[in-house]
Amino acid sequence: MVKHENFKTCDQSGFCKRNRQFADDVSASSSYTSPYAVVPASITFKKGQLDAVVLKAVKEGGEKVPLPLTITFLESGVVRVTLDEEKRAKGQIELRHDSKARKERYNEAGKWALVGGLNPAEGAALAETTDAGYTKVIYGKGGSHQAIIRHAPFSIDFQREGETQVKFNERGFLNVEHWRPKVEKPVEEKKEGEEEAKVEEKEEEKGKDESTWWDETFGGNTDSKPRGPEAVALDISFPGYEHVFGIPEHATRLSLKTTRGGDNAYSEPYRLYNADVFEYEMDSPMTLYGAIPFMQAHRKGSTVGVFWLNAAETWIDVVKTKNTANPLALGLKGHTDTQTHWMSESGLLDVFVFLGPTPQDLTRQYSELTGYTAMPQSFAIAYHQCRWNYVTDEDVKDVDRRFDKFNIPYDVIWLDIEYTHEKKYFTWDPLTFVNPDKMQKQLAKRERKLVAIIDPHIKNTDNYPVIDELKKKGLAVKNKDGDQYEGWCWPGSSMWIDCFNPAAIDWWKGLFKYDKFKGTAPNTFIWNDMNEPSVFNGPETTMPKDNLHHGNWEHRDVHNINGMTFHNATYQAIAERKKGEFRRPFVLTRAFYSGSQRSAAMWTGDNLAEWAHLEASIPMVLNQGISGFPFAGADVGGFFGNPSKELLTRWYQAGIYYPFFRGHAHIDTRRREPYIPGSPYTEIITQALRLRYQLLPAWYTAFHEASTTGAPIIRPNFYIHPEDENGFAVDDQLYIGSTGLLAKPVTKEGADSVSIYIADSHPYYDYFDYTTYSGAGHHTVPAPLDKIPLLMQGGHIVPRRDRPRRSSGLMKYDPFTLVVVLDKDGNASGSLYLDDGETFEYQQGAFIHRRFDFDAKREILTSANLDTSSPSSKTQKYVKSMEKVRVEKIIIVGAPKEWKGKDHVVVMEEGRKESKRRQEATLEYHGAEGKKAAWVVVRNPKVGIGKGWRVDFGDKGVGHEHHGHEH
Amino acid sequence: MGRKHTASIALLLPLLASTSNAASDPPRPRGVGPEFAKFYKNPDTFMCISNPNITVPIANVNDDYCDCPDGSDEPGTAACSYISPLSPPRPSSGKPGAVNETLALPGFYCKNKGHIPSYIPFTNVNDGVCDYELCCDGSDEYEGVGGVKCEDQCAKIGKEWRKQDEARQKSLNAARQRRKDLIAEAARLRKEVEDRIQTLKTQIQGQTLKVESLEKSLVEIERAERGKVVKGAGKGGKITVLSSLAKSRIEELTENVGRLRSERDSVKARVDELEAMLKRFKEEYNPNFNDEGVKRAVHAWEDYAAQDRSGPNEALDRDLDEILSPDSESAIKWEEFETTEESDVEVLYKFEEYLPTPVRDWVDSKLRDLRVALIENGILADPTSDSTTESKAVTDARSQLDSAKRELDNDKSELTRHQEDLDKDYGPDSIFRALKDICVEKDSGEYTYEHCFLSRTTQKPKKGGGHTGMGNFVHITSITVDEELPADGKGLGSGERIALKYENGQHCWNGPNRSTLVVLACAEKDEIWKIVEEEKCVYRMEVGTPAVCGVDVQKVVEGHDEL
Repeated sequence: MVKHENFKTCDQSGFCKRNRQFADDVSASSSYTSPYAVVPASITFKKGQLDAVVLKAVKEGGEKVPLPLTITFLESGVVRVTLDEEKRAKGQIELRHDSKARKERYNEAGKWALVGGLNPAEGAALAETTDAGYTKVIYGKGGSHQAIIRHAPFSIDFQREGETQVKFNERGFLNVEHWRPKVEKPVEEKKEGEEEAKVEEKEEEKGKDESTWWDETFGGNTDSKPRGPEAVALDISFPGYEHVFGIPEHATRLSLKTTRGGDNAYSEPYRLYNADVFEYEMDSPMTLYGAIPFMQAHRKGSTVGVFWLNAAETWIDVVKTKNTANPLALGLKGHTDTQTHWMSESGLLDVFVFLGPTPQDLTRQYSELTGYTAMPQSFAIAYHQCRWNYVTDEDVKDVDRRFDKFNIPYDVIWLDIEYTHEKKYFTWDPLTFVNPDKMQKQLAKRERKLVAIIDPHIKNTDNYPVIDELKKKGLAVKNKDGDQYEGWCWPGSSMWIDCFNPAAIDWWKGLFKYDKFKGTAPNTFIWNDMNEPSVFNGPETTMPKDNLHHGNWEHRDVHNINGMTFHNATYQAIAERKKGEFRRPFVLTRAFYSGSQRSAAMWTGDNLAEWAHLEASIPMVLNQGISGFPFAGADVGGFFGNPSKELLTRWYQAGIYYPFFRGHAHIDTRRREPYIPGSPYTEIITQALRLRYQLLPAWYTAFHEASTTGAPIIRPNFYIHPEDENGFAVDDQLYIGSTGLLAKPVTKEGADSVSIYIADSHPYYDYFDYTTYSGAGHHTVPAPLDKIPLLMQGGHIVPRRDRPRRSSGLMKYDPFTLVVVLDKDGNASGSLYLDDGETFEYQQGAFIHRRFDFDAKREILTSANLDTSSPSSKTQKYVKSMEKVRVEKIIIVGAPKEWKGKDHVVVMEEGRKESKRRQEATLEYHGAEGKKAAWVVVRNPKVGIGKGWRVDFGDKGVGHEHHGHEH
Repeated sequence: MGRKHTASIALLLPLLASTSNAASDPPRPRGVGPEFAKFYKNPDTFMCISNPNITVPIANVNDDYCDCPDGSDEPGTAACSYISPLSPPRPSSGKPGAVNETLALPGFYCKNKGHIPSYIPFTNVNDGVCDYELCCDGSDEYEGVGGVKCEDQCAKIGKEWRKQDEARQKSLNAARQRRKDLIAEAARLRKEVEDRIQTLKTQIQGQTLKVESLEKSLVEIERAERGKVVKGAGKGGKITVLSSLAKSRIEELTENVGRLRSERDSVKARVDELEAMLKRFKEEYNPNFNDEGVKRAVHAWEDYAAQDRSGPNEALDRDLDEILSPDSESAIKWEEFETTEESDVEVLYKFEEYLPTPVRDWVDSKLRDLRVALIENGILADPTSDSTTESKAVTDARSQLDSAKRELDNDKSELTRHQEDLDKDYGPDSIFRALKDICVEKDSGEYTYEHCFLSRTTQKPKKGGGHTGMGNFVHITSITVDEELPADGKGLGSGERIALKYENGQHCWNGPNRSTLVVLACAEKDEIWKIVEEEKCVYRMEVGTPAVCGVDVQKVVEGHDEL
């Protein structure tokens, strides 16, 4: 059970309480006017950027607080709105407690999160004519977008094609807590005052409950808050949008529930404050390990979104308003508006607005800003075997041997904290890991890898050079007094590396050199855990907010970015372990932020071996996908507790669809490697694992797509079928990349079937026996324990490698099978991306990228090059190395009846001698049986995977003597 | 269900090139073992081994495409490696049940010239790894995928293997010899038990007779003594009796105080150990687990530790030593009392004499009435009968009888124990009789592990601290194992193995009572090979011992050949 008492509710988090109260007061008052106004004379517009000053009227004495406003219109069609506070920016404030903290609002979140897409749009322009009191900017492709800025009270409407999609400050919740000095109020003074004055005073005080302004205490920890109240908050509305997705990480549904009343609503806002939540609960807006403040709203035909670039503790309220259709207004349907309220404790108000209109536009534009998923090494998308802990090097070798013995493929074995000598990272326990080199060698023999854990807390002890250097160089996070902060974690007393400091990153890189971290090898990779950071004795199991980071930024300002700076540093360290070694690093992180996708994979932390956790993992991983960090997975089997054999089996059958696929278990649990449960479970689990391996070419292609377009690797229904209103909330089934493979993992105990939702009119075929399911709606698909519910949407070509090997590295030169799944018109297409799976040479063209098309009319299957650049020497070298790799089999599912009796196809390949150009290959036709579709197999067409070729199914030249053949 | 020919000479060429060129035998296709050669003799067509109704052109054999549903057309490639119940299901190429879709061949045949021929799984063929363990000639990687070159290492590996095999054989012979010795030893031990039983039986007979005669003599002595009493009170006075009673009582008490003291000491040692454990627990527990139970325990410990508890008073302890010592100054000299001849009992009865006369008269009359009444009602002893005391002679006789009875009982229970022991399972040839309580140790990680045959398993931390019991012997059982035998032969191999079950060891925090399964395999010496914690606090020890060598010797020897 999660310990609620360890984590704050909105009411216990001062700024959240203040802003929620503020929102309630504003909503309750009919006469309220938002006190923010743009000074019209201050507006300038140059090169896609609008600058102005917003004044916040502060009641007493008519004082006005200047807030510099910047609105940047980006080339991509995204708009960035930034609101700062002049006094803080100029340092014209005083800090309490002689704090050394910076005075500005934190303005470096972008430095960590953003990597591109920031070029202002030359085409954006002020509208010629505008109503008085408004400024209008026309931007976007063909000027289809406009931002309408109302001066007083300040608000912005974002329109696409003349229709408002996103509104800022519609409800007047905009709140920038300006700096003010603390006035020590004499408590008893008002006794003599008159009755009238008292009433007034009270009124005044109601709005100004100062109890959370100057310091806050929670769980025995007091936050000194040297800058006083400094929150930023804004309401953002999505008119006409019923569904909002995103803002991971929460154990909740994909389509976010409301938080302030209504059916089945949460009572707390969604919280983003990276934390080590022990035994987290299901169906909750509670914060978890990572934060991506990116939300998208979806309705039929349109997806829009906002990215709230702020690294401080953040809460988000979501409400939905149903507008019932007016029975008199014919043709107008009722619609639902979604309104959100974003609140952050400190920092700038800095928001990006995306107007879509497709989900693909959103993920692309967001990824352009925060970076694309790094192309992983091919082993990283295969199966990972983890446990806290494999206890000795012999244990590791034994597990490795057993996988082979049971013919179960796996690629990576993991070491949790116990491998270290007394929890000192970069050391090995001399008693239990006596010979790590030998262990690594055994693994390397089968192309297998080792991932070892390295956490950010460094043991504060004697005779440990790492802590000595950390202290001497002053690279640790500091406490509010500027001394190196000491807290408690796995090793006991510890200090935390401050990766906001470039010097700390440099030092960190040095620690991973092979001669420094002895016992590691090129096949060793790293797992970064506890980087929220987790501090056992800190408030909410993390660091005090008034701790200081590099540049004297308070921890409060940077908290949600902290984990990312750490795994980024590890990524750089792994990339530079040895001069001349250019291999893609692999780092797993638990804490994350926008941008983490550039250097790490993530997992959903410490889940439980319960069916509910298996079920929740699907929407959680889907949500990661649409939020720009798709290399995600949950611990297969559940971390805490012992899963039943059925649960374990079902979890493997679901886990093969996690982009990051790892089995993991707590130290107190029984062993549960796939060979443990015995017959029939072990066989069924092995089938699932082999299915993942068989489809690795499709997965790798999906990763490539993610790394170039930002598209999710596993995709929810709405992403594939954005027009299908019935499927917007479907989050218990998934598509793999662009393959059309539709999976619905079994997440219920004792189930023997599942109901799969089909969104369109294409035929869908069972992956294993080609049973056909047609027609939009729910279809019951059998799912006894040994059956994985997996369908193939008509219209796709799926690349596979069917030969089972011991690891993915040993499949590198295996031939391909292409499964051509025809749509209702008989067409299909697909793609394949392939590279060495290891180095960065793909960036210099060393890859194969093919597009396959089956044309129903011409009855031909073609392979065309998707790489339009002129081939580099690296390209040629790579293609040559893959020269012998061929397509060994083509399966066509849903084959036309007319092909019955056909016994061969004609194959033509580029580059072959004219005389050998035309070759025949045998075709075998299998007729439809009941619901099972007809299929054909082309036997060994012997075409190169990297070559252009054509398979002609319409050839009538030879083989007619076999007509009427029985099947 | 036939297959069609698209025979092409071009396809045949690589096949011919790849076939074996052994001199005498007709060439067999690559990867075919001699026992399957007969299926590959037809020069035109190939009949799938398990599906003889399906034939394919000979060109399809080893063309790296899987035609036969049983995989038999690809003995030398990995093309049919997917045919396995471990692979994802696929649509059947024929009517369900009409075709046999199980691999017909055991694998890719490596000739391993200079060593032992062997089959390697098809999944390992041309995967870029030299699997020398099974295929020392490197013939599994003939395609050289990814540039891999697997040189023929059979000469070296074979030589090494033969050397090791020789050592193994030698060691095995030695082990067999040792087992013989053990059997002899076990037999001797059994004989000892049997002899002991014989002795005991005789002893019991004698003892029974002795008891009977002692009983008789006691009765006689009692009768004689009663006569004495009737004649008048003997010299053995009441003080003597009292002193003898007091002596035995005090001895009893002394003994008990001594026992209590040693119990106290051992309890104190346990408390110290527990306190040390709790101290470590408090220092090392993980506050992040937020386990209320643990937190409560830690707080309770802190409170407990904060209390000032005085230790045992050493001065008092020394006094106690003094008191308990029979030779000490203050000890009562019992002999002085035991020899007292006069009886003080009468004196006690005449206590009225010490009272003033009027009182005495009153008391006397009252007391007399009371005493008479008591005596008449059998509550008080008749002062003249003297039956409450026993003479030393009777006491001696009785104690002789008692000790004789005790001896008899002891002998009887020993007999039962030995008889039960004879029926007890000591494994084949009762061999473990010779190993019982023999202990072997092994360092592994942070601990030294100890296995005492048929007794217990123990974990001893190298860093110091208390030993942890991993289980006490329960029974002999067996287990099926299937493991690779390392070159030195120190491993379980595969087959049925004798195992010793140890249960109810120390309780595990957050887990069960520790238990250990000790799996035995043949070795020259008794030694622990490996300790694995299979799941939390459930251990498995792999132990070599000559004791099991005779049991399944065939299987153990053949452990090397995996296929």
